[in-house]
Amino acid sequence: MRNFILIIRRFFNLILFVGLEIVCMVLISRSHSLQGDDLVSSANTAVGIIYKKQSDLMYYISLGKMNDSLLNENMRLRKTVDKYKTTDTLQDMKVRRELASTTGDTTHHIVKYADYIYRTARVINNSVDGVNNYITINRGSNEGITKGMSVISGTGLVGRVEYVSAHFASILSILSNKQQVSARLKDGTFKSTTWDYEHPDVFLMKDMPQETNVKKGDSVFTTSFGNTFPADVLIGTVTSVEINKKNGKKQLYLKPATNFRSLQYVYVLENTLGPERQQLEEQAIKK
Amino acid sequence: MNVYAKNILRFVVIVFLQVLILNRITLHWFPEPAGALFIPAIYPLFILLLPFETPVWVLLLSGFTLGVTIDSFMTTAGMHACATIFMAYLRTNVLNALMPRNLSEYINQQPSIKTMGWMPFLVYSGFLLLIHHLVFFSVESWSAASIGSLLLKIAASFVTSMAFILVYILLFTRQNVARA
Repeated sequence: MRNFILIIRRFFNLILFVGLEIVCMVLISRSHSLQGDDLVSSANTAVGIIYKKQSDLMYYISLGKMNDSLLNENMRLRKTVDKYKTTDTLQDMKVRRELASTTGDTTHHIVKYADYIYRTARVINNSVDGVNNYITINRGSNEGITKGMSVISGTGLVGRVEYVSAHFASILSILSNKQQVSARLKDGTFKSTTWDYEHPDVFLMKDMPQETNVKKGDSVFTTSFGNTFPADVLIGTVTSVEINKKNGKKQLYLKPATNFRSLQYVYVLENTLGPERQQLEEQAIKK
Repeated sequence: MNVYAKNILRFVVIVFLQVLILNRITLHWFPEPAGALFIPAIYPLFILLLPFETPVWVLLLSGFTLGVTIDSFMTTAGMHACATIFMAYLRTNVLNALMPRNLSEYINQQPSIKTMGWMPFLVYSGFLLLIHHLVFFSVESWSAASIGSLLLKIAASFVTSMAFILVYILLFTRQNVARA
């Protein structure tokens, strides 16, 4: 007995070593069985909590990247929607003589009046408190931005490209007394919006005819009349309607759809048929 | 700082470094399939840096704890523990061979570049790390079928892990202020 204890004491380290290695081997061989083991796996609670925290952190850090990918996804979807929106099918007009279409189908033809190219951009400078407010974006002439392109955000209208350098562009936002936006109400009334440069959250539509059928909460959209903005982009919603006592006309207060204070990403729209239309309209004015 | 508190803190820091940062880095030195993915390992450093006079059974138990902790994070069920225990068992012998005096004479000291010098420390950590990687990758593949790619993997992982361990040592060694 004494000898046995002595042997154990003599070889205690070796016995412990072999014992622990056997435990490891048992753990390894058990992991190949279907039951799995609950003790040593990343499914146990403590490890799970740490991995959850890590994943939360990585999720937060990668939010910017995710934003960019969503932006590109949106750009693609908008383009797809536009394919259906900007074509005008004249198939019901029997009176007109049909033009021969390229596909050989002579029963109807399709007129395209706009074809937009979307470019995504990130806002790097922004102001809301001047008389004319400019937004700087990180895209310039190198990426194909030119003067006069319209800019929208995910929620509504933003403005128009005013100055372009190689890598940056400056957008005159609709918070400006320089540009008025041609707007359309739900009942079809056209009028332009103005901004009284007091508050970035309030737009005005002055001198609306009294018979205009408008309620609080109505949406106001752009029209394509000015050839600056694409049609049917949300400008804002009506927050209150006021009647001017002097001339009996209505004045509408709008809340812009774009939150100019927290603008981060915008789309720059290039109308590929825009220059042609502009040239034509200028010709008519000159004569 | 108390030697126990210091080592427990180091355990936590090294495990978190390994699990939360290095496990996210997957490297391959050669195009697939010869140089399959591998992950640099710095956690053996905890065993390497325990004080000189640590008894073997403490080394073995702490190696087991460390290995099982890493295993539960990486779902490798005992493979890391197996390799770490092997390394911990050999540590005392390697140190005895390298150090001029008996290990019990180095009181309150731990293996480091300062106490051992550059060359002995590199030999010490390199040898034990190589043992660790040999055992780990052999247990992981558990066959002699692809011995060539196994050796290649061990060599590549060893070089990378050694680089990471040196970076850790250089970062966390207190510099001698009086030198300037």
